[in-house]
Amino acid sequence: MSAEPKLRIEGVSRSFETAEALRPVDLAVAPGEFVSVVGPSGCGKSTLFNIVSGILAPSAGRVYIDGRDVTGTTGHAGYMLQKDLLLPWRTVIENITLGAALHGRVPSDELDRGVALAERYGLGEFVHHYPHALSGGMRQRVALMRTLAVDRDLMLLDEPFGALDSQTRLDMQRWLLGVWEEQRRTIVFVTHDIDEAIFLADRVVVMTPRPGAVREVLTVDLPRPRGVELLTAPGFSALKRHILELIYDQAPVAYAR
Amino acid sequence: MPADRTWRDSLTVQVLAPLLSLALLVGVWALVVDVFAIPQYVLPTPGATWEAIRSDWGTLWDGMRITFGEFLLGFVAGSLVGFMFAVAMAQSRLVMRALHPILIASQAVPIIAIAAALVIWLGFGLAPKIVIVALIVFFPVVVNVLDGLASVDRDMINLARAMGASSARIFRHISLPATYTPLFSALKLSATFSVTGAVIGEWTASTSGGLGAYLLQANSRLNTPATFASIALLAVLGVVAFMTVVAFERALTPWRTRAVARPWSATRRRVRRAPVKAPAPLPR
Repeated sequence: MSAEPKLRIEGVSRSFETAEALRPVDLAVAPGEFVSVVGPSGCGKSTLFNIVSGILAPSAGRVYIDGRDVTGTTGHAGYMLQKDLLLPWRTVIENITLGAALHGRVPSDELDRGVALAERYGLGEFVHHYPHALSGGMRQRVALMRTLAVDRDLMLLDEPFGALDSQTRLDMQRWLLGVWEEQRRTIVFVTHDIDEAIFLADRVVVMTPRPGAVREVLTVDLPRPRGVELLTAPGFSALKRHILELIYDQAPVAYAR
Repeated sequence: MPADRTWRDSLTVQVLAPLLSLALLVGVWALVVDVFAIPQYVLPTPGATWEAIRSDWGTLWDGMRITFGEFLLGFVAGSLVGFMFAVAMAQSRLVMRALHPILIASQAVPIIAIAAALVIWLGFGLAPKIVIVALIVFFPVVVNVLDGLASVDRDMINLARAMGASSARIFRHISLPATYTPLFSALKLSATFSVTGAVIGEWTASTSGGLGAYLLQANSRLNTPATFASIALLAVLGVVAFMTVVAFERALTPWRTRAVARPWSATRRRVRRAPVKAPAPLPR
């Protein structure tokens, strides 16, 4: 871990009108690190995501990227949601290069880079397809390539595979790990799927609901590269049990109402 | 959608089927006239109608050109104004509130009533017909373009903002294309009725000719075959108007009917590398 974290969150909290959505959160993410944020719905993980991406201003606290205060400003991180948000009138390559198109005519080298990404990560045959002709998994890959093409060191992924069936999701997780290992971006990955959180990450941030707060940050001390066999390894199960306990010792309260 | 393209676009279905149903309609028409011995001044046979078209083709052709011209000018003008109206209304709640009554009023007043007033203001020439056609296409375009603009996902705008895009570029690349599909729905719906609008304009008062004026004259002389000749040609104009809109829709919204961009699309011509055949395997 280098001295300067890629992303530093200091005392970030957020209230909506009278309700407190997020209690003060502190978190530092090292360059090239893969951090998962996991928790039940309503734990403020998406609120945290929106604050880091700059779409939402925090009620208190600061966000630093590479040591620079970026609180409340956008454009410092690439991000991707559960919805692929592909534009139906743009082909795969046109969607991948959307970031460049939004700044004028797409330069040729950007176009080449986009095609190279598509070819490298399994969509070479589909560069000129429209999104409606692709499967859900392929569409999410295009969305990730669009995020990669924007060329930010920090990538925020908010349940990117949440809408996929479990088989496709596992394929996509392995694919994402492959991309990450090659590209070495810093990834913050928000999910409600505990398996997914452990399988992908170096560290897992466990959040608790209403108001959201960081319960514990766990280091995932499992070897890489990771394959499906990891999902049944003893170390994995132990971590999963621990996280389940962290989340569900509050469950009776949540169900009581 | 892509799978049944070959079936849907095959010559048989696209050309032969409509021709067949048309032939059937004409056949039934001929049969009805024959079986019930209907006199020609009530309902002429298809043959007599055809003869009426052939014998006065020069005048009818001029009439078609004039009526189609009225339709085209009014249609384009009405669409453009409607589009700008919608974009302006989408900018702010205030503009929306301010323009809404005008929008509704433009539809509440009967076209015939407007037509009479337009003749007083604009005379017997081309202008009142253009305005009538424009009024017909205006309302559906405004409503549908507003729908298209409102359909843009908030998250999509946020994503574009996060990519550092200006409002103008967001409009150009995200909001504007989202209006194309509903815009063309509006245009298709109003295409045929716009031809009717041109005819209403010609009926009110006209020195400029046109199929509507021809129809009115033929009718007043109880020349039923000539009346039917202009009716048949008006039907043809309606089909041509509709097909013109469909042709533009096909050309401008290729993603709705195609799986892959056209080979001559701007981006495909710019991507020099040929797509690889075998996709890279998933990383283990």
